[in-house]
Amino acid sequence: MKNSRVLSLIAATGILFSACSSAATPAPATQAAATAAPATSAPASQAAASAPGSVAASASAFGCTAPAGFAPVWYASAAHPYFETVKPGVEAAGKEFGFTPVEQIGPDWTQDSENQGLEALFAKGSRYFSVYPSDASGANALYKELTSKGATIINFGASTQQPTTASLVFATDVKAAAEQATEALIAQMGDKGNIINVLEVLTDPNTVLRKQGVEEVVAKHPNVKIIQEISGMASQQDAVQKVTDAIAANSNTVDGIIATGFTPTVAIAQVMTDYKVKGGTRTIHSVGIDTDPTVVKAISDGVMDGTIAQNPFGHGYLPMLALMCMADGYKVQQGVYAVDTGTAFVTKANLTTYADDISKVTQKIKDSMLTSILTK
Amino acid sequence: MTIESHASGDTERPESPVGEERRGSASRVAASLLRRSDFSVVLATIVLFVIFALGSASFFTEYNLFNMGRTSALYVFVALGQAIVVVIGGMNLSLGAIGGLAVVIAGTAMQDAGISPLVALPLALLVGAATGLFNGLIITKLKLNSFVATLATSFIFAGLVTGISKGSPYTNIPDITFIGSGDIFGIPILFVLMVVTLAVVAYFFRYAVTGRRILATGGNAEAARLSGIRTDRIVMLANVLSGVFAALAGFLWITRVGSAQPSTGSDWLIISFAVAIIGGTSLAGGEISALGLGAAAVMLTLIKNGLVMFNVNIYFEQTFLGIVILLAVSLESLRAIGRRRSRSPRHARGAEGGTGK
Repeated sequence: MKNSRVLSLIAATGILFSACSSAATPAPATQAAATAAPATSAPASQAAASAPGSVAASASAFGCTAPAGFAPVWYASAAHPYFETVKPGVEAAGKEFGFTPVEQIGPDWTQDSENQGLEALFAKGSRYFSVYPSDASGANALYKELTSKGATIINFGASTQQPTTASLVFATDVKAAAEQATEALIAQMGDKGNIINVLEVLTDPNTVLRKQGVEEVVAKHPNVKIIQEISGMASQQDAVQKVTDAIAANSNTVDGIIATGFTPTVAIAQVMTDYKVKGGTRTIHSVGIDTDPTVVKAISDGVMDGTIAQNPFGHGYLPMLALMCMADGYKVQQGVYAVDTGTAFVTKANLTTYADDISKVTQKIKDSMLTSILTK
Repeated sequence: MTIESHASGDTERPESPVGEERRGSASRVAASLLRRSDFSVVLATIVLFVIFALGSASFFTEYNLFNMGRTSALYVFVALGQAIVVVIGGMNLSLGAIGGLAVVIAGTAMQDAGISPLVALPLALLVGAATGLFNGLIITKLKLNSFVATLATSFIFAGLVTGISKGSPYTNIPDITFIGSGDIFGIPILFVLMVVTLAVVAYFFRYAVTGRRILATGGNAEAARLSGIRTDRIVMLANVLSGVFAALAGFLWITRVGSAQPSTGSDWLIISFAVAIIGGTSLAGGEISALGLGAAAVMLTLIKNGLVMFNVNIYFEQTFLGIVILLAVSLESLRAIGRRRSRSPRHARGAEGGTGK
């Protein structure tokens, strides 16, 4: 009886996989080439036209084209709002230059899952990858293995630790962004007062850089002091609880609160909104990073002072262009690796216009792609 | 101390009859307390509360107590989802994914379909009940261990969460934060809901026939079956209730933060087991304590809050958390020692199907 149930389960699983495989399989190279729209007629990034960082389609003016069968992989670690804002850039590049990217989102934020996903795609024939490294150090072993077998990998969003076999990284300069956010917060505080520094996950090398950025800026301002650091915020619940606790612990002394990671920034938006609702009277300035709708609303409502907007469209769009050109015979210029995709400080005053500033950065990088980043 | 001195029975001078009666009464109270599985966690919570109140000036502020109250409440609802299946000797590894799925469905309903929160809440609970029933059916009909079954379904539900939401939160929903931020005479509404729910749970397991049947099934499933209890139905009921509590916890989290976050539930597994087990729910089944669950939730909240209040080194925070939890639960061994010393023939109990307090 038990055996028959197990067999039924196995059979059902097989049917399920068969049913799903057609949807999960990327378009074959020939099909991708056949359906590729001519660069001039492709309505390029219409869908993403309003996305921060998006640029006007101009495939004909660009110096390289997608080779036949070019189907680069875009690999995101897990379902996350950030990746949803990167994806339009990937798709816009595909439409503009007539190729079909293979989009893959991992099941969880672990290097193990990423290894399995990328290895499977490599086995299926993919050779060009735009990857968000789940583990800045752990991804290097995978990269080394794949590049030694002929793969080309570009990081987006975050860099792998040096030395790395990734060709390029298109990302925010996280330390510079943290410095920018801290300067903005201190300016709001009138160059004096006490700050709570909210860090995300200490095992992330980017968090270390962000921490350094905040501390170095604070050190330049003698009347500003970090009174508490909190961290370990892998989930939204954790972040909300810790930010709430930190405000309670410093309710009579805190003047500013800064977050340089996505999760704690959303938590600050929620906690500060709640703080106002509960009748909190102390003026606590707050600055975060990323433009989650909760954060944007908090800025719009005057609950938060501002946030650092990154360029997620560029994180998706620019690596695709670089991979396409590398498939077309270009290589990375000597000494070039990190490309800063730019940031903008968003306040209530520029909530509706900051996207234009980011778009200009994307366009500038695109324009200089074949002169400053790649070479024949 | 009192327990030990009494337990030694070392008297140097004759007692008057009144004194003996008082001592006898005190010993009965002490023995009664020591028998309770939730005694140590309640004591540990009180001790921690006193330590933190004395150690940090900011601890005893209205704002901090309010926040701890509502965090504890959410922990209780999460833990109830686990305790209700642990008490029948099972577990629910898909608890967080069910909570996340309920949140995503409620978020979709409110944001995309424009459905009122009054409808979204029962919808979320329905999702919890349906997923719980699915778990229960797999466990009872396929005769699969609850660990294996809920491990598998956790992937199914988690996949649905990301598939439906694409990882993005639902922020354009009606404002229902008056529940998560509101209070009744200064007490968080969430905390009041927690107390009421725990009271119902205590009553259910002590006096309701179904509650006693759940305990009996958890205490000895075979004996329960032979005595006429339809244990498969009890297992399914426990799983349905587990799903409902997870969904309720998820919905209450929406009221706390004002948006429906797909990441809801991702860190519930440890919390649910920690609160349930520290709170006196027997891993072997058949024993649950509403008071213990409440105390354990407050205790965990206190510890996490205390780490921030005392500004501990962020690099070693997890280590401190583990040490404090270990010290707190070590009181359980003191209870066991005290219980052994105070045990007398008239206090000894026969084998029971289970206990609910």
